Amino acid sequence: MTQRQVTVEAEVGLHARPAATFVQTAAKAPLDITIAKGSGKPVNAKSILSVLSLDVRKGDIVVIAAEGDGADEILDRLAEIASAP
Amino acid sequence: MMTVMAPVTGTAVDLDAVPDPVFSKGLVGPGMAVEPERTAGRAVSPITGTIVKLHPHAFVVVGDDGRGVLVHLGIDTVQLRGEGFETLAAEGDRVGAGQPVVAWDPARVAAGGRSPVCAVVALDAPAEAVTTLARGPVRAGDGLFRWAWAP
Repeated sequence: MTQRQVTVEAEVGLHARPAATFVQTAAKAPLDITIAKGSGKPVNAKSILSVLSLDVRKGDIVVIAAEGDGADEILDRLAEIASAP
Repeated sequence: MMTVMAPVTGTAVDLDAVPDPVFSKGLVGPGMAVEPERTAGRAVSPITGTIVKLHPHAFVVVGDDGRGVLVHLGIDTVQLRGEGFETLAAEGDRVGAGQPVVAWDPARVAAGGRSPVCAVVALDAPAEAVTTLARGPVRAGDGLFRWAWAP
């Protein structure tokens, strides 16, 4: 399992545009991807319902994880989206 | 098949009329929107289910089959930090379709220079799963769109 841990910097947290962009990017990857808030339970990163329900606020730490070919590339992109101010 | 109700009384419009690309370009999902009448009122749950997320300006209700509907009250209303909104339920509450969830005043949101348009979005749904039921005048609780089951 490959993972990235980042701090969410967007003022609105992982909601609205950042959440939609994050999920859309994850959904295009042919891998299972999860996101967890801190040490919480990982949820499907390709589901906008799951990501909105996580209720990630500015300053929260999220862990994004995937496994398989291309995991590093997609996780780098998702980490960048999640940590964008 | 699930019928998603209008959360507020007003004018039903297509989602692409919402002045925020997050909604108008369907980034969050397909759905419809309601331009609310400019009087203080209550936004109701669009479906029967459980409130999984409740903010003053937005909430998500998940039906018994796991499908979630987002109701977003106005554009950029997160910036109001709850000012002018009163939650009438709590996260984890079971609500019936048509049950009030948030009290607010669209006129006040508009007076602050923000659009009070309410986006109603079928989360994780493909665009083709949603069929419009109403355009034009609607009352809170009227059918707004139909959501075909697409696992």
